[in-house]
Amino acid sequence: MNEAIKISNLSKSYGTHIVLKGLDFNIQQGEIFALLGVNGAGKTTSLECIEGLRKYDSGNITINGIMGIQLQSASLPKYIKALEAVKLFAKWNKTSLDRATLDALGIYELSKKPYYQLSTGQKRRLHLALALTRNPDILFLDEPTAGLDVEGQISLHEQIRQLKAIGKTIILASHDMAEVENLCDRIAILSGGKIAFIGTVGQLGDTIGKHYNITIQTENRTENYESENIGNSLLSLLMQYKEKGETITDIKIDRGSLEQHFIKIAKGE
Amino acid sequence: MGAFLYGVSLQWKLDIRSKTLLITCYIVPLLFFVIMGGIFTSVMPEARYTLIQSMTVFGVTMGALIGLPPSLVEIYSSDIKKVYKANGVPLILGLALTNISSYIHLFLMSIILYIAAPLAFNAEIPKNPGMYFISLAVFIAVSLSIASIIGLAVKDQAKTSMFSIIVFLPSTMLSGIMFPIELLPKTFETIGKLFPATWGYKLLAENAFKFESLLPLLLIFILATVMCSILLRRIDK
Repeated sequence: MNEAIKISNLSKSYGTHIVLKGLDFNIQQGEIFALLGVNGAGKTTSLECIEGLRKYDSGNITINGIMGIQLQSASLPKYIKALEAVKLFAKWNKTSLDRATLDALGIYELSKKPYYQLSTGQKRRLHLALALTRNPDILFLDEPTAGLDVEGQISLHEQIRQLKAIGKTIILASHDMAEVENLCDRIAILSGGKIAFIGTVGQLGDTIGKHYNITIQTENRTENYESENIGNSLLSLLMQYKEKGETITDIKIDRGSLEQHFIKIAKGE
Repeated sequence: MGAFLYGVSLQWKLDIRSKTLLITCYIVPLLFFVIMGGIFTSVMPEARYTLIQSMTVFGVTMGALIGLPPSLVEIYSSDIKKVYKANGVPLILGLALTNISSYIHLFLMSIILYIAAPLAFNAEIPKNPGMYFISLAVFIAVSLSIASIIGLAVKDQAKTSMFSIIVFLPSTMLSGIMFPIELLPKTFETIGKLFPATWGYKLLAENAFKFESLLPLLLIFILATVMCSILLRRIDK
């Protein structure tokens, strides 16, 4: 498989605040790749550097293909209507969007409303349509479902899958682990300006197998413990409680969710 | 070219939908014309000889300085510019489209004044209409170039209104359209010469393409264009 994007040693700082500390990763053609991280981790900065919207301090970025970009915070003139905006951008890029794509994004049903009257979800659909007007090979989606209701999220996920099916490479920035699990082939988790994890969602799941959450309840209190060696930890904890003379009323053991694990990695714990 | 023309027609529609430009380019200048035209010609009957020129200078100055900057601030001080840049639309397009649309609106308003003033107040039509409209074309372009600086330099709508008024008031008060420029104290007369309205009024009223009136307008236009390109480059960073 060919590389759609190759990033090596990408660094960026704002004054004395270092946001990206030498990022290295590749994105393959035709895959859905997610850049994850808690707020302020540098997801948007990374994307904007790759998209060419922000200058970076050092490193190399190689892009193989035309880019379409849906920004996290985007706007249009207050009184422009959806179809007018799509037509303007398409004409400027010497392309046209087919009826099926516009229908799938529900642009026709928005055609009579000015931009300022559109809901968050409708605006996101419109900005996705604008990103597609360049007929891009690589599509960047920054927090594509932020602010959308469940129905809107499901619909947008379906559209993203359809775009992958026709061979588009999709890069999305998100902090919604469920969305990522649902959509992505590979993920990279940003933490402290570096890549803390890169791989498939399955590979992230495999690492959870080593982590257990143990909850022990006594008559007076409930305590939580974490362990990578469940047998030894549980035995040791039971001994401690016995020595203190506390009566255990309940014990729960679980492996933790992907989301909990993501938060730990993202926070560098 | 098709994309550009579509952009111009779209901007024209957006301006009409927004109402702001309609108010600043048509309603207020024409209302001012109705009231002040009546007063001027009653108090000073000789005002009818320059009524078209004075009302046009007021209307163009107002439409450009008060009407254009908010549209530019909307584009260049918001996420609209990022959407343009991200999706292959050059940043200069917003500036070009809003200027062209405003230019057309201001020219139309000037034509309305040109037709209405003789009918309503027996105003004298310029002796050389061809020259008059060429002078008008130059004056509108220069006024819009100054308005563009305000729209590109100022970051929020409230400050835009303030800067627009700061430029608009001396432009109209010191240009000679309200009272002869020779009656002003020397300092005010000199300040007035910094604004295109003074030279625009002179050029329109002269009925001839006099180089000494045209030159300051051209200089202001060149300076403003350079300023706008610097500001646009700064926005693009």
